[in-house]
Amino acid sequence: MKCLLLANESAEVLFYWTDTEFEQRVQEQYGLPAFEDSINTLFAPIIISCSTMVDRLGDNYTSFSTENNHIYVLHQFEECLYIAVNGDGDETEEDLKRKIFVMKKLTEIMFGMVTFSGALLRKELRPQDTEQRNRLWKKLRSLLETYSRLRENDQSFLVEAVERLIHPTLCEQCIEFLERRLVQQINSNMDRMGEEVLHAFILVHTKLLAFYSSRNASNLYSSDLLALIILVQDLYPSKINLDETSEELESSSVPEVFYTPEPSPPERESGDKNMAEDSLQTLEAPTPDPSAPSRVFLESKECPMPHSMYCLPLWPGITLVLLTKIPNSHVATSVCYFLEAFVKLEKRLCEGHEGAAAMRGQPSVQEQRSRLEKLIKTWAGMDIQTSQLQNAWTDFKNKAFSRSGSGFTRDLLPSCRNMKTQLCGVYRQFFAAECMGSSQRLAPHLQERALSMVQEKLMDWKDFLLVKSKRNITMEFPGLIHFIYVDRSNGQMIAPSLNVTDRTVSELGKGPLADFIKKKVWSLVATAQRYLQKGYATVTLRDGDYFYCYFLWFENETGYKLEVIDIPSSPDDGAPVGMLTCDYYRKLLRYYSKKHQNEVVKCYELFTVHLGVIPNEYILQHCSQLARKLWEPTRIPLL
Amino acid sequence: KITLPPLTNSFFFLYDSSKVQEEVDLTRDGIYYFSPEDTPIDQQELLCGQLAGVCRCVSELSSSPVRLLHLRKSKYAVRMKDKFLWALSCVVDIPDVSVCDLLDQLIALFCFYNGPVRQSYQLYSKQELALRWARYLCHLQGGSTELHHIFSCLRTIDSTHIDPLLLLKAALILQACQRCPLVLAGCILYRGRVVSTQMPPALTVKVMVYETQTYSQDFQVTANGLSSLVGSPFSSTATTQVFLMPTELHMLRCPPVDRACRSHCNQPPCQPSRSRLLSRTLSDTPTTDTDSSMPSSPRSSLSDELCFSPSPSRVNTPIHSNLMNQSEYFTPDSHVHSTSNGTNLCAVEEHLAGLNINQIKSEENKLDANNHVTNKNGNGETEEEAKTKSKQINRKLKEKNEPTNTPSPHETLEDTSLVPLVLYQHRVKGLVLALLVEPEFITDHSAREEVHHSSLASLNGLEAHLRNTSPGTPGPPGPYTFAHYDCIQNTLTTNVCGRSVGPQDQAFVKATKLVHSHFSRLDTLQEAIVRNASSAVYGTRTTAQETYFLQQGTPVRNSGSPDPQDSAFSLPRKARLRLLKHGVNLL
Repeated sequence: MKCLLLANESAEVLFYWTDTEFEQRVQEQYGLPAFEDSINTLFAPIIISCSTMVDRLGDNYTSFSTENNHIYVLHQFEECLYIAVNGDGDETEEDLKRKIFVMKKLTEIMFGMVTFSGALLRKELRPQDTEQRNRLWKKLRSLLETYSRLRENDQSFLVEAVERLIHPTLCEQCIEFLERRLVQQINSNMDRMGEEVLHAFILVHTKLLAFYSSRNASNLYSSDLLALIILVQDLYPSKINLDETSEELESSSVPEVFYTPEPSPPERESGDKNMAEDSLQTLEAPTPDPSAPSRVFLESKECPMPHSMYCLPLWPGITLVLLTKIPNSHVATSVCYFLEAFVKLEKRLCEGHEGAAAMRGQPSVQEQRSRLEKLIKTWAGMDIQTSQLQNAWTDFKNKAFSRSGSGFTRDLLPSCRNMKTQLCGVYRQFFAAECMGSSQRLAPHLQERALSMVQEKLMDWKDFLLVKSKRNITMEFPGLIHFIYVDRSNGQMIAPSLNVTDRTVSELGKGPLADFIKKKVWSLVATAQRYLQKGYATVTLRDGDYFYCYFLWFENETGYKLEVIDIPSSPDDGAPVGMLTCDYYRKLLRYYSKKHQNEVVKCYELFTVHLGVIPNEYILQHCSQLARKLWEPTRIPLL
Repeated sequence: KITLPPLTNSFFFLYDSSKVQEEVDLTRDGIYYFSPEDTPIDQQELLCGQLAGVCRCVSELSSSPVRLLHLRKSKYAVRMKDKFLWALSCVVDIPDVSVCDLLDQLIALFCFYNGPVRQSYQLYSKQELALRWARYLCHLQGGSTELHHIFSCLRTIDSTHIDPLLLLKAALILQACQRCPLVLAGCILYRGRVVSTQMPPALTVKVMVYETQTYSQDFQVTANGLSSLVGSPFSSTATTQVFLMPTELHMLRCPPVDRACRSHCNQPPCQPSRSRLLSRTLSDTPTTDTDSSMPSSPRSSLSDELCFSPSPSRVNTPIHSNLMNQSEYFTPDSHVHSTSNGTNLCAVEEHLAGLNINQIKSEENKLDANNHVTNKNGNGETEEEAKTKSKQINRKLKEKNEPTNTPSPHETLEDTSLVPLVLYQHRVKGLVLALLVEPEFITDHSAREEVHHSSLASLNGLEAHLRNTSPGTPGPPGPYTFAHYDCIQNTLTTNVCGRSVGPQDQAFVKATKLVHSHFSRLDTLQEAIVRNASSAVYGTRTTAQETYFLQQGTPVRNSGSPDPQDSAFSLPRKARLRLLKHGVNLL
């Protein structure tokens, strides 16, 4: 029984997702003809109570739980309230909170700066046109479900770090190929319609084979890369086959001692063609217009920058992704610059600063004024509606600069807010997917060319890659059942496979035991994150027959281990620990780097599960050796 | 640094939503009790209204009562039963399980001394009951450390400074009392702390209410002029009616010990049927003669009206003036006819040292309806009249309770099933012998004499010994901090001092909170080591205990990367070694 809902302050539902169980329950209780009305009726008192609590007590609900263990998690982002519900015990409070933050991240990826304005976000999430709304909500629901599926089954979404396929030679070849052949060819072609490929990468399921960024591209953050993988998985899901159990599987070698599997030689893997093909089935591409890109807004130093994303399926399970810069994207930077200026002004006015004090910390008013004046003129000459912006600007100027106006006082606040909304509106007109002309894209033949080039390049490797993605790394320590190693500085992780529902045999074999271990690993990560949030960077646990360890530490670039520091403990209602949502680790690294300003600081994590019968000294020794050994592959330049 | 008890600045309220159903109804009418009582009424209304509204909405959707509400700055444990809603707030870093336990204890305390909540509010005014809620709240908050709140444990005497023979003596006194078959179980308290108990911890806590209040804050004792009580030769006994849950009673009546030796008093001939009779509640009193006369409507407004109609005038009258009626209410018919001469009054008090306890007890205590010496004809009502009234009330209560007689996981709230029993207290200065006895004990003079005389001398002796035992200066604190929680006896042994808490102790308490709540969520978890830069804490548990240990001084500096030399990992060994001398065996 699950539900996720977004509402604004006037208790209007902006988006909702429910599973069938929740829907049935609500229908039984309220039975209004339109389900949306039932949802509205149901949550309205809670939503209204939330705003009352904020207004009158300066406090707000963060969660409710009932005697039958239903959980409700609430979080307010600006004017938008998110509520997530679980009544089937599948998700914890922390999971629900994470889901809310992921939903927020997905709206940022899809709508960029438009999310800054409550009114515009409402328009974006709740289009007047019913059909358009249904289409959008279907897309959002599908994204949410894709995320939940990945979170439940994929270790890289468990720890929120990208998993790489470990094959240095092939990886290097691919990067070279992407750079010298693919990207160069596209970017020099006339039919690219003013777009420019900035990033190109190849995914095998959710794992990264190769990643190339052009020289003038800004950094692609791990949080964005993870969100993009959700988008790709939503378009081309790696479907897991559950019902078939073939003889081939039964005869395949299930390791007798599940925790000490033999390392598998690569030759065998590459030869095992059937297994790979059977295990991976890809759904038909659902997009009606296959060559149309998706609009994505990616974090940069200045503001969420609009990009076009092209997902080109090479084979089922293997995808080439191109991220291009679109025409006029520089407008985003200037819109953002002024938006920020107005946000600052609003804040200072709210705090009671007036006159020159209100503009403190900003460049001279006159300079700003003339710059904005010029920009508005330029935008008016472009193909967008600027009359509302112009009106808002005239109004602002009259109030702020003319003698009859109020000047920089509290009375300026409404005009200031209106300017914000209008600037967001301009941004939306330039970049929102549906506002862009539908013809804006890399010419289809160019996309086809790119696809076939990479297909050709990887033809001999594809079966190997598909198997490799299921069996990326093996373990050799007796008594070690599982581990996850994460390099938080580059947002990448390494772990043996744990494919419990898959037909391929993972390191743990399959069946109830593997499923049991999977649950334990999932709960270990959740536990470790909870302790980390409270400032504990080392945790060991003896639980049933198993012994669990968690370590977080810092190193400099040469691998010298830096001294531990006290990590500040974050409040319970803060963002969950992770990278996909509000990037906890980026903040943690920034915090640590303040003390080590003259060296590059790296952050690592290790999670391990051992058999409980092994003496602690050996387990700790194992962990130490493991950390040393796993450090090596991360040296390979990939990103 | 002084750490405030975690419940300071916390809210507690009892709200009856059946009083606020129409648009015109005022929220304040539904507020039965709100603490702190000096909270402005509009803020009380705001909180009660909002929380009750949200709770109703959520419980409807989930078809289950709400248990916890988290806010950014605080959290509320919640209980919903019938139309009542109880909520107790605390700061966010107290474990969920602890604050929920506290609220349940609070409600249980109220029911123990007053019986079912709805019924209590029919019999007494809000103001009278407010004093009691305040006292129970104070008892639970009173003067203990944050660790005590985390584990919601009993306050016991420091057994390390006491001659073990004294503990044995206390246990023997209790056993001697138990020779009388009317005595179910007992405990001995000294200055608000448990010396020895035969009751399950949940019951011991309830019995201790008044004692803890008197002794936990010594300055208050003096302020109230009660200090003379402590010093003067003084001995008295008192009985109070109390209400037990059937499971609690079952545990007392069928203890896992052989009672064959109880031959001193005559055993009733037919034990099983007697038990059944005693466990009768108001709702299973046969009332066939009245059933037809009342419309058997389900919980309608009519039933609410009935509840409050019988004694509107009584609600505002002082309790002692019509004590008789009240005792009648609490006494099921089956007991009334078996007694004689008006001694069916459930409250009897004796003055052995020629001192009138009523003069000493504070004004508040006087309000305790069941705890008084009264003239049986004091209120001018004949016994006959009282009986009739009592029958009427019983009938009406029955009407009220029957439709909601569904099984609930939380028995405390299962009002209808509470069983009346008597709490007998024998005080010798700072020492109190508290016995839970069958209601017949009050009328059975020989049994009372017997218990009194058999224990008096021993109690005097025990008191003298305990008084002369120096509290013992706590030894040097040692280079470590620990807490050992006994889950069975619900007791805590720790070297964290009560009030002043150093940074290491704070680190220890913080980690203990986290690990304790982890233990409470995960049954299979046996041990945990958590470490940050400045401290490392080891926690281990079995079904019987939880132990937490911190080695003082910064752990040997390292990088936090996996390292077998890390001093944090030697904590289990050190804990085993160090704690042996505190009687904690982790082997």
